[in-house]
This record gives sequence, structure tokens and C-alpha cells, in this order.
Amino acid sequence: MSTAVLTHDAPAHRGASPATCKFGMIIFLISEGMLFAGLIAGYFVLRWTANGFPWQPGSAWPPDASLPHLPVLLTSINTVFLVSSSITFHISESAVQKGRSGLGWLALTILLGATFVVIQGFEWVHLHHEGLWFDKGGIYGSSFFVITGFHGMHVAIGVLLITWCFLRQSATRCFTPQHHPALANVALYWHFVDVVWIILFTLLYWV
Amino acid sequence: MISTTADSPLVEQSAHSHVQEGFFRKYLWTFDHKMIGLQYFWTALFFLFVGGALALAVRWQLAMPGTEIPVIGRFLPQTIAVDGAIVPGGYNMLVTMHATIMVFFVVMPILIGAFGNYLIPLQIGAGDMAFPLLNELSYWLYVVSGFVILGAFFAPGGAPGTGWTAYAPLSAVAAYNGTRVGQSMWGIAIFINGLSSIAGATNYITTIVNLRAPGMKMFRMPLTVWSLFVTAILLVLAVPVLSAAAAMLFADLNLGTSFFKPAGGGQPLLWQHLFWFFGHPEVYIMILPAMGLASEIIPVFSRKPIFGYKAMVYAMMAIGVLGFMVWGHHMFVSGMNLTLSAAFSVSTMVIAVPSAIKTFNWLGTVWRGSIEFKTPMCFALAFVSMFVIGGLSGIFMASTPVDLFVHHTYFIVAHIHYVLFGGSIFAIFGAVYFWFPKMFGKMLNEPLGKLHFLLTFVFFNMTFFPMHNLGLGGMMRRIADPTVYEHLRQLQPLNQVCTIGAMGLGFTTFIFIWNIIYSLRNGPAAPANPWHANTLEWTVPSPPGHGNFPHTPTVYHGAYEYSVPGLEEDYLPQNVPAPDHARLESH
Repeated sequence: MSTAVLTHDAPAHRGASPATCKFGMIIFLISEGMLFAGLIAGYFVLRWTANGFPWQPGSAWPPDASLPHLPVLLTSINTVFLVSSSITFHISESAVQKGRSGLGWLALTILLGATFVVIQGFEWVHLHHEGLWFDKGGIYGSSFFVITGFHGMHVAIGVLLITWCFLRQSATRCFTPQHHPALANVALYWHFVDVVWIILFTLLYWV
Repeated sequence: MISTTADSPLVEQSAHSHVQEGFFRKYLWTFDHKMIGLQYFWTALFFLFVGGALALAVRWQLAMPGTEIPVIGRFLPQTIAVDGAIVPGGYNMLVTMHATIMVFFVVMPILIGAFGNYLIPLQIGAGDMAFPLLNELSYWLYVVSGFVILGAFFAPGGAPGTGWTAYAPLSAVAAYNGTRVGQSMWGIAIFINGLSSIAGATNYITTIVNLRAPGMKMFRMPLTVWSLFVTAILLVLAVPVLSAAAAMLFADLNLGTSFFKPAGGGQPLLWQHLFWFFGHPEVYIMILPAMGLASEIIPVFSRKPIFGYKAMVYAMMAIGVLGFMVWGHHMFVSGMNLTLSAAFSVSTMVIAVPSAIKTFNWLGTVWRGSIEFKTPMCFALAFVSMFVIGGLSGIFMASTPVDLFVHHTYFIVAHIHYVLFGGSIFAIFGAVYFWFPKMFGKMLNEPLGKLHFLLTFVFFNMTFFPMHNLGLGGMMRRIADPTVYEHLRQLQPLNQVCTIGAMGLGFTTFIFIWNIIYSLRNGPAAPANPWHANTLEWTVPSPPGHGNFPHTPTVYHGAYEYSVPGLEEDYLPQNVPAPDHARLESH
């Protein structure tokens, strides 16, 4: 076998530097962006072929008057929660950069994120009662539930990741001003999920 | 940087860090990119065996429709063969699984998983990938997706039979395809495989951008690394779209949504658009790394610098960008608007330009070189010539009026196999012969390699060339029994020639496997640099130790400085500075 000798200027498994981690995360998020782009493109292709372009007559959405409208007011409030959670996360990250624990703001972020998921779940149940579901309401129901389902799953995973950061920080205070790549990357993910939601909210609820 | 000598204290330290790892940590859950590359290699070879066996079953049915397959026929599931003879529905399952396995579980994992993993850190002078854990996760996601796709054979109703393209509504309506579970498992396997690809690609891009050794400027990187870099970008952008489509297909089958079902207002054509938006970049995902591997082999055995290094890089970028604008050429026969068809025709033909640049550059590299016909070189040259045949038949398909006639025939089957087998698989074989000494520390047997090459080349053309004639003669693809059509009966002898060639290909693969087993046991030990090549992996022992490089190498010039005027040796490794009087190709 080999006689290669390791020296310390080339360690095999030194953890990647924070900048490298951030770069990797951005590449991954670009990929995630393409996932949502695929879903949204599919939604508009279906909608426009069925109902005509928005400037054409008869392009009202939902297509069938008997189908329930989406609860715009409730979701607007929910959107406010999600956007604020991005802000609180950012404040928490700045606190860590200033040498504080950032735990309080992190807890608030978890609370806001979890609230978003719960309200989204409530909305699903509500729409189900009103007669809109994966298999009811044609492409209207299909695309709404699959797209918001994908996004909701991302938010739920985000909440778990933030909880993981919270537990690590409260147990070991591992995030220092100089070194907190996990927190920074989860923050990046969380802001991404937030931006995607603003796009989805606009396209699904308002357009 | 710390400089060390052979008997410095660091040697002792490294002996400590080089702990003996158990079987589990060494072979199954390893963070070493070289072992992960080998994991991909062996797993993909297993799938090559499965996919090849499926192809032989397909060929058996086409040559001797309805006759019993000797020996193994009786072991096939009832959904595929009854009394040892393949039934039409079972034929569809075989074709579907052959293509799915070859694309997602053989060609991609070997090119990107095995060679990508093994070569990227070594060729850029890094100790490992940027994210070793993610790397290993990506491998195991691939294995999980492999279990799911193989499990589809045992699903109630049988394996999916809708082709690897899984066109809706056939794939999306359980009442049409009769294989709700199998088709759903196909969707799950594609989704998990996609996660694996995205994880791997993220890692590759990050590694190549951030972990290059000092002096390894982007335009000093070997073309293999460039090709894998462009491929990884394509993967990151294209694969998630297929994942979205697979999720929609799964929802249609299991949650009652109607994305692709006309009955609920859905659009079958949406599937085709989403699938081919991924599917065409996928074509380049499978050929670009093969081009990169060939670009590495050809200069080494021509003892000449690669012709037009930068042109090669720009051509790959052009192929990558154009690859996203041509997906419609798969859908000319799907009732596409003719104006749109014309646009897709033109954009497709434009891709011929960068492809031709690459081809002529390979020829320019070989031209007046001191060519050594070692097995890797034979495969690499075969790759170039077969790729040209496949590329030229691609132009037929790019032109809408011709495509309308040949798209649903065996002509397109011939085309895809000339680029994917004649292209990718030939390059893979060449790369295995080239890098096997580095990977395992043993030389492969040269006469057996030549025999393997010769028979593969002959049988490959015997199998696939007649398919051009079959297609132009009117034989439709995806038919289980050509003899039921009056106009195809006269072509049956050609079908039998194809099948004899395919069997020959199957048996030839055993020469390859025997060569691997024999050489691993009895092959002569490989020196660090058996081919006198320049790239960094040849500057370390074969196989390289944990952490790859004793000292982080410094790179002084490009990877293709062969036969430099004014130098004694006809090669100049990248980490060796050139004397002032040497006239280098690169900077």
C-alpha cells in the first residue's frame, strides 16, 4: 500500500472554512430555486392553457365560481409572521457576531416559524372543508396543495434546523463571533425560504 | 507552509493519525473521496451488469419474439415473462428499466460519482472534497434510490413500463399503465437519485472553486475538472426540475392531483416540457465528463499538448448554456407549433458548432503526435469516432422535417446508443484502463485490454449500426414484436444481427471483469506515473494515501505540457517549474 505521509499543511478532513460553507449553501439554494421554478412554471402553464392569459377575458381564477377562494387576509398575517421571523433571525445572528448568545431572538424565530406552519396547516384543513383538496378542484387544488406543501415542508425543516442551532447554542455556546458557520448557513436557508414564500404568496394568492 | 524531510517528527505524527480503520469505517462509511469514488465505481458496475442483462432480454425478444429465454426465462417475474417467454407488457418494463438504470444508475454514477469524486481533489491538488460527509451521504442516497428502482420489479403490477421518459398520461393514470406502485417507485427513485446528484454537484462546484492548490488557476485546470465543473452546474440547475416533475407525477398517481391528467384540466404536454427541460441538459451531463476524460487520455498518448485548450473550455461552456435552450427538439412529434419547432431546430444545430470544435481539437491533438496505441488511447479514439457518428445522426433529428419521419423509429435508438454507449461508455472504459493503476495500484493486463477493446468495438457497431437501417426501413421503436407487422418481416434478419452483436457485447464485458479481477490479484504493481502524464494525481503514489498529497503542491503551468521544446523529458508535471528556456503552451 501507499507510503504517503501526511503533513499538517494538507489535513484530509479539516472542516471547510465558513466562506466555503456559505458558497456551498448558495449553490444548494440555487438548486432549490430551480425546484420551485419548476413547480411555479408548471402551475402557470396549466393555468394559462386552461383559462387564458391574465389579460384575456375569462381568465378569472379560480376557474369555477363554486370553488373556494384562498383566505388572503389570514395568509397575509401569516406572511407577516414569516417575514418577521427572518428579521428576528438576522438580529440573533448580529447578536452572536457581537459576542452575545442570541438565544432569545432565536427562540422568537422558532416561535414565529412554528406559528407559520400551524396557521398554514389550519388553512389546509379549512380549504379541505370548503371542498378544495389535492384531488378536488382540478389543477387549482392540485397546484395549490403541492406547491404550498413543498414550501411548508421547507419551513418545517427550517424550524427543526433553527431548533438544532438553538439547542447547540444553549448547551455549549458553540457560536462565537468569529466562527458560527452552521448558524449563518441556516440563516441563509431561512431567508431563502422566506423569499420563496413572498413569491409564492404573490403568485398563488394575488395574481 | 511547513517543509518536512523524511525523518522529521511529522512522519511520526502522521503514523498516529493514519489509524487502522475497521471494515465499516474504511469501506462503507468513509469520508475519503477516493474510497467514495470506488464505492460509486463498484456499485455502478453492478448496475451496469443489471442494465446489460435487461438489454439482452430486450434483444432476445426482438430477434426471437415470443420464444422462451433459455435457463433464466423461468426465473423472471410473471409480469415480465410467462413460461419463460416475454409478454408485451413485460417487454415495456424491460425497456423502461434498462434505460432508467443505464442513465441514472450507471453512466451518471460512474462518470460523475466515481471519476468525479476520485479525480477532482487529486487533479486540483486538494486533500479531499469540501464537504466529505455530504459526499458520503450523496453515495448512500444513490444506493437507496437503487434499492427503490430494483424494488419496482417486485411491486404489485410489476415494474414501470412507460419508458424512461415516462410520458403522461400513460404514466400519470394508474388505470392506463396498470403499475401504480411500480411507477410511483420510479418517481421516488428519481427523486432520491436527484437529491444525490444535487448533493454531489454542490460539493464539486464548491471544491473546484475554493480548494484549488496554490497556482492552480482556473485556466490551468485539467479539462476533466473543467468538464465536471460545467456538468455540476448543469446538474444543479436541471435536476431539481425533474425532481419537481417526479413529485407531481407521484402526486397524480397517489394523491389524486391532475397535473398531467386531461380529465382534471391537466396537461400531458407539461410533463414533456418539464422532463426535457431536464432531459436535454442531462444528455450533456452524460457526455461532457466523457469528453473531459477523453481530453485527458488523448494528449498523454499523443505526447502533444491538447490542441486549443481554451477553445475546449469555451466549447464546453457553450454546450452547457445551449443545452438549456434546445429541449423542444425532443417534442417535434408532440404536435408542437411549427414556428417554435424551427427555433428549436436552429438552436439545436448551433450546438454542432462547439461539438465540432471539440472533435477537431482532438484530431488536432492526435495529428502528427507520437501516438501510442495503449488500451485507454484505443477507447478514447473510438470515443471520438463513435461520438461523431452519433453527433451526425443527431443533426437528422434536429431538423424538424426529418425528425417527423425518424423520431419514432430505431434510427433514434441507434443515435442515442452511439452517443451514450459509443460516446460515454467508451470513454468510461478508456478512463478505467487509464486510471485503474492510480486507483488500485495495479496495472491492468494490456493484451486482455486490447482484446476487450477490439471485441467491444466490433460488437458495438454490429449491434447498433444496423439500427439506422432498421429505423429508415420503418421499424418503430418500443414495439414488443416486429414480426406482427407485414412490412417489418423482411427486416427481421437485421434484428437478429443486432441481437448477436448485443450478446457478443455482453460476453465481452466478462473479459473486462476478468481483467479487473486478474489484475487486482496478479497485475504488476503500478508506479506513481505509469503513463508519464502531467496532472497532479500522477505525482503521488498509486494508490494515493489518505489526504492525497504529502505537501500541498504548487502549480506552475497548465496540464498539457508534452514534448516541450528544450526539455529533456517529453512531459512536465504541473508541480514542476519549467526552466526559463522552455517554450510552454500555457501560462
